[in-house]
Amino acid sequence: MDTQLFHIFRNTPTGRETFLQSIYFCTLMGVAPVVYVPKHTKFLMYFEKDVVQVDLDGSYLTAPETSEKHAKALAEAEGLDPGFYKPKNFTASTLPDIPVDFDFMCCPRSISDLTSKIGLGHIGSRVRRIIQSAHFPVLITSPSFRKWNSITVFFGGSANAVNALHLGFRIARKTGMKVRLFTQVEGRKTRDDYEKVIRENGLGDDMERYVDDWLLFFGGKFEENLYEVPHDSLLLLGAYGHGLIRDILFGSKMETIQSVMPNNLMVAGPNYVDRGA
Amino acid sequence: MALPGENRKGWDGVTGSSVFRAVLRHETGMRFACVQGASKIFRDLFNMLKGLSSLPSKLPRIQPDDRLILMVMGAVVGIASGLAALALNHSLEAMLDFVHHLRDYPWAFILPGVGAALSAIFLDYVMKEGAGHGVPEVIYAVSRYGGLLRLRSSISRLISSCLTIGSGGSAGPEAPVVMSGAAIGSNIAKLFKLNDRQRVTLVGCGAAGAIASIFNAPIAGLVFVLEVVLGSWSTVNIVPVAIAAVAGTEVSRFFNGNQIAFSHGGFDIGVADTVAAAGLGLATALFSILLTRALRSMHHVSDGVKLPKWGRAAIGGCLVGLLGLLFPDVQGEGYHAIREMIVGAYSGAFQLAAIAIFAKILATSLTLGWGGSGGIFAPSLVVGSFTGLAFYRGVTFLWPSIPLVGEGCFALLGMAGLIAGILQAPLTAIFLIVQITGGYEVILPLIVVSAVSTTICHYFESASFYMKDLVDRGQLLRPGTDARVLNDLSLGELIEKDCLVVTPQMTLREFVGVVKRSTRNHFPVEDSASRAFLGMVDLNKVRPYLFDTIMYDAVVVEQIMDRNVKFISYGDELAAVLNTMDTEGLFSMPLVVNRRFVGMISKATLLDKYRKELMVQTTDNP
Repeated sequence: MDTQLFHIFRNTPTGRETFLQSIYFCTLMGVAPVVYVPKHTKFLMYFEKDVVQVDLDGSYLTAPETSEKHAKALAEAEGLDPGFYKPKNFTASTLPDIPVDFDFMCCPRSISDLTSKIGLGHIGSRVRRIIQSAHFPVLITSPSFRKWNSITVFFGGSANAVNALHLGFRIARKTGMKVRLFTQVEGRKTRDDYEKVIRENGLGDDMERYVDDWLLFFGGKFEENLYEVPHDSLLLLGAYGHGLIRDILFGSKMETIQSVMPNNLMVAGPNYVDRGA
Repeated sequence: MALPGENRKGWDGVTGSSVFRAVLRHETGMRFACVQGASKIFRDLFNMLKGLSSLPSKLPRIQPDDRLILMVMGAVVGIASGLAALALNHSLEAMLDFVHHLRDYPWAFILPGVGAALSAIFLDYVMKEGAGHGVPEVIYAVSRYGGLLRLRSSISRLISSCLTIGSGGSAGPEAPVVMSGAAIGSNIAKLFKLNDRQRVTLVGCGAAGAIASIFNAPIAGLVFVLEVVLGSWSTVNIVPVAIAAVAGTEVSRFFNGNQIAFSHGGFDIGVADTVAAAGLGLATALFSILLTRALRSMHHVSDGVKLPKWGRAAIGGCLVGLLGLLFPDVQGEGYHAIREMIVGAYSGAFQLAAIAIFAKILATSLTLGWGGSGGIFAPSLVVGSFTGLAFYRGVTFLWPSIPLVGEGCFALLGMAGLIAGILQAPLTAIFLIVQITGGYEVILPLIVVSAVSTTICHYFESASFYMKDLVDRGQLLRPGTDARVLNDLSLGELIEKDCLVVTPQMTLREFVGVVKRSTRNHFPVEDSASRAFLGMVDLNKVRPYLFDTIMYDAVVVEQIMDRNVKFISYGDELAAVLNTMDTEGLFSMPLVVNRRFVGMISKATLLDKYRKELMVQTTDNP
């Protein structure tokens, strides 16, 4: 258990669902949960090349006197002993600095916007910037707690998709679950092209060992093909394969997936570092 | 006229001649002579171009060197931060014009309150800054996070300080422009994906450009950054920061002309003035300490008031407004009063000057301590000039025969004393005053007053106003210092995972077998079922048992293990870990997370990494 998942605890029923999802992930993966009970609505995360200010919505400060008790009870029910992170460094008196050397982080889709607490909504700008800068992948939870029994990696052949595949194999090694690949074929590519990318990245052996299904779509709409993904699968994807402008003009696959699929997502950004099992 | 196919050969000499030969076949007489002349000119011109085209390969090749990149970037950042400083200056002028005619109304005392409240609302609700005056945040970012600053900081303080100062609050625009310039530098570095050290340099460039622009004082900008912001005088930083300071100054001069902020007619300095400067140094040190402590205590007082930040700022501002009814000079940045004092036109008596010192300190504490936005540079200059003036009048009153140069000079020296004292930065004070007053003749008393003031202030205040909080929290990490080196190392890179784990039920015989396979002296003990960490077996402590074969099957690990082991958790500071190792006489400690043993952290590895990191931080290459 030398790996840690960072969770910002929200002492509300919605926050409980998110935390249960974190606990479930920690239990399956043998990861230690580190819980932050915020005392201020703002905090900073200093990444290697960027500083991200997260402005939490007011619900994160709900009933602070019972927050730790609730979080501890939920974690202990699953046999986990959560660590509680107390900020040591402050950029300003009401602006704590949160470390960025965790192995995983859990977020709802938006942590600054009250309106999208229940519905799927869009991935908030802060969550996006965290994903873009972090070495760790971000677990974006389903609105209500749901267990996952398989892993689906969205693999389009890009460098970030390879990151997602690395992450998929990492989770498969720890959980013993099989991996399913989902590929929406672009242009005139063939299965061989995708396999070549996998082999070139040294993932050939893991591919044989862990992948038991490859949903390869040569046609059809991406949104419609997503129906083939099981509802109880953890979805893994790489973020920001394209530039922001292309995402705005043609739409982002990540945005489509998160707005269509109610599953739990785990997103590996461009700076994701595979720390092995 | 070219023959078919000839001009397709390309522009070489032969083809050119062929073209002209073809022309010659069709032309006669004078025309022939003209074309022959043109042909020669053309050939010469062509040969010259050919020579030029091969010139780049003969020139020394300019490589995209890191230092060159920083110099170019420094100029860009200097220009941008210079423009930011100009923008604040002009906005302040516009704001002062706007509120000027309102000052005659009896309710005008609420203006600073309204400005400060708007400023707090803007910072908290619009920009969501949640931060203080600016310069400490820049120093903190440089110190801990390689100069990473938020983009929003490049404009937030400019607008908020404009609202506070423009409405009559007692604060200065310098710290906001330093913050803005530094944030511009940081974000330009981010845009071009520069590394930490390059980013820190550009943060310095931004701060230098801003100070240089707002005071029209490039050397002051350079020295302020090296002495206060970066805290290091490495050659890697000096050149780009100097270029940024020049760029910032040029921007200021381009738009405002080469103006000296506090010009004077010149001073004929004598020995008596230099000696008296030592006394003034003492007085300015006293008021520097008073201003520092007043600001600090006012923060504590306002924190106790259960009102939103904007409400507290409004109260502080209104009190400044009321104070301004008695002493109008305490409002705003106060440069007008300084100008009067330096040219010797300040009409108030000694008592009035002395009271004005306290009034300005109170006004500044009320403005900044209660939530207004701005810096302490300008208030320090005002308090300093009042101190100098009062000192001069006091000395000449008591000893009229002492030939002192004049009260304007002492006002100027007082400014240096206050800046040197409150920032504990004597060089910044000296060069700033030399440049903003345009006179080098006062350099000797300037050095004396700055040195005395800094020394005395340092005796009573361990750190400058900007750094006190950081020092108190142990967060001032200057490059090459112990704390900084340890901060830049992480537990993750020190973990040694080659320890062999044993269980409490293991017999000594089995344990000896493990020892034979191990290269280490420490053995973590884990519960065989839950894998929870239970303690350690230290080989040195159990060595006598290992050679007693009778004990092999009689003793189990549980009996020889140490259960009261000091361990490290994730999040522990390495400085604290090293301190524990020193005080407890330990050479290694286990890292335990969630009751599981993760690995060992050894002092030898820590010091080895420490040395390597120190070398990285103290070499001059970016």
